[in-house]
Amino acid sequence: MNSMVIEVLTPRYAMAWYPWAVQYFFMIAISYSALMLTVPGLLLGKQRFLPLAKIALLVSVSCTLVGPVALLADLHQPLRFWHFYTNITPWSWMSIGSLLLPLYLMLVVAYAWLAWRPAMQEQAQGEGWMARLSGWIALGQWHAPRWLLVLAGLGALVFSFGIMLYTGAEVAVLQSRPLWHTEWLPVMFVITGLIAAAGLVLLLNRLMTGNDEDVNRQGLTVIFVGMILAAVVAALWLAEGITGYSPSVQQAFASIKNSPQWTAAAVWGLLAGIALALSAAVVLKKQVWLGGAWLVGLLALHVGWTFRWMVLMEVQTVAKNTAGYYQYALEAGSYGFMGIIGTFGLWLAVLLIIDILVPWKKGMQVRAH
Amino acid sequence: MDTMRRALLGQMTKLTVGAALVPLSSIASAGINDQPPRREGDPAKRYQPPRREGDPAKRYAMLIDLRACIGCQACTVSCHIENEVPLGSFRTIVSQYEVEHEDSGDIATFMLPRLCNHCDSPPCVPVCPVQATFQREDGIVVVDNDVCVGCGYCVQACPYDARFINEHTQTADKCTFCAHRLDVGLLPACVESCVGGARIIGDIRDPNSQISQMIDEHSKELMVLKPEQGTSPHVFYLGMDDRFISRPDAKPALWDVRDPQGEEMGYEFHGH
Ligand code: SF4
Ligand code: SF4
Ligand code: SF4
Repeated sequence: MNSMVIEVLTPRYAMAWYPWAVQYFFMIAISYSALMLTVPGLLLGKQRFLPLAKIALLVSVSCTLVGPVALLADLHQPLRFWHFYTNITPWSWMSIGSLLLPLYLMLVVAYAWLAWRPAMQEQAQGEGWMARLSGWIALGQWHAPRWLLVLAGLGALVFSFGIMLYTGAEVAVLQSRPLWHTEWLPVMFVITGLIAAAGLVLLLNRLMTGNDEDVNRQGLTVIFVGMILAAVVAALWLAEGITGYSPSVQQAFASIKNSPQWTAAAVWGLLAGIALALSAAVVLKKQVWLGGAWLVGLLALHVGWTFRWMVLMEVQTVAKNTAGYYQYALEAGSYGFMGIIGTFGLWLAVLLIIDILVPWKKGMQVRAH
Repeated sequence: MDTMRRALLGQMTKLTVGAALVPLSSIASAGINDQPPRREGDPAKRYQPPRREGDPAKRYAMLIDLRACIGCQACTVSCHIENEVPLGSFRTIVSQYEVEHEDSGDIATFMLPRLCNHCDSPPCVPVCPVQATFQREDGIVVVDNDVCVGCGYCVQACPYDARFINEHTQTADKCTFCAHRLDVGLLPACVESCVGGARIIGDIRDPNSQISQMIDEHSKELMVLKPEQGTSPHVFYLGMDDRFISRPDAKPALWDVRDPQGEEMGYEFHGH
């Protein structure tokens, strides 16, 4: 029997997760990805990667500090955050995350503090309030052995895997939303995080250090390889849907077919992805264009952010039980647009404060174009 | 949805109702062995924290006789009043469908009251990071609003959109089977106000309760929503149509009512 069905009156359900959540997922992914980018230069001592590591460390620390603020803001009862620690719930990924996050944050800060400390100590030798402040931050002139830095770095790295796992699993375990319920989602979070982190490094390389050539090349390589991996993962996810039964793929196609908003987003995502991979490859090839790597960086940030927006916000507009799609209009208030701008503003403030206080560029020999 | 899948789901729905009743019923064994293997939706695989509070001797459930529902929304309204639900949010609502036969053009309506299913394997419970939402021993799933941090995780986890963040309390809210009324021997507001007597609530561990007897009588026809999610819902539907057990393949007709200036009117008008 063929029939046409109309749902006469459809309630519109409010979003349970606001754009704050997108900001948190974006910031924390950049944080752990940038941390990875510090490994060759800072932990393995590869000189060629030192400038990259220095910028990446700044990126990682600033995002690590701001991300949790956005997370807190996404709670409807932010002042009750201490309930997380009085009611520990080991079977909930969110609870596990609430335990991992502060430890991760402390380790990243410790790692950066140890990395920046020698320069801070040097700065403390001078005159004036800056020197005094540097002395306080450095906690004296004693020498910190290198193994301490390595230990903090490795610790942060271990916990960063925990963060990757929990942020991905938290969303992917939800069977109620087929689009989220795929093991490829956590993988994609990490890959797009890496792409965005490299993008931000490229941008800061242009704005803050004098556009170092090696950093540009390394950052572009990360983006290019990341995009290839992203394409492979997307293909595997699709293949799952074509060869077998994957509710995730099925719902994605249904949504693209039935909602013009989804169609537009899918086309845009595809185009932006292709443009990013191609531009990274072209700039890598054409030496003369290398100075423009920061433009590719901007596009990489866009892709990394939009992926999270699509996954977290747009998926929430797919009705779970009733017909159609809830229209989500970005509000101007603190639950919408202001939340997005506010997080970026806070991040910029943190970045500038660190830049004023910490001589993080110390010893960086920029090879400009 | 293609017919094959629909038929399969229909089969599964009926069997799932059977499975939910295994411990107490005499009807169970027949179909259960033929049950198709459920991959990831297996409720046994989903960890559930221990139940607390409530009477362990009881298991509350609801049976909704769709043949008696006229879609008047009396339940929606009385639930709103009884539980002080903010306007625009719903603990229960009656979905109304207009079904048109494509060849003959005949039109029929279908009413589907929705509320929390008080699932036996509720995905909303284990995700809660602070154990604010829990299942009582009598099967009712509730939220402790003094503990809830309003993270919205449970709202995401419920496959039935049965939960929402209450804009007054800023915590998770949902149908409680009117536990505050049941506990003092009253019927839930929606049951009390139902014009056609379509909602039957009761203890399925008591073989003499009206719900147990109706389950016995109609065991073959009962269905639950979204059985493929493996949640083992405890709101059973009588007179259900296969096409509506999962997200219906339907066009939404009316979201909200706006005046010529584009301002929202109707149930979501400003100032509430
Ligand atoms: S219907 Fe939703 S809220 Fe109710 S118990 Fe099931 S999963 Fe939880
Ligand atoms: S919104 Fe409240 S009840 Fe729901 S998961 Fe979060 S803390 Fe638990
Ligand atoms: S049982 Fe109570 S809370 Fe649940 S739908 Fe009925 S009136 Fe609302």
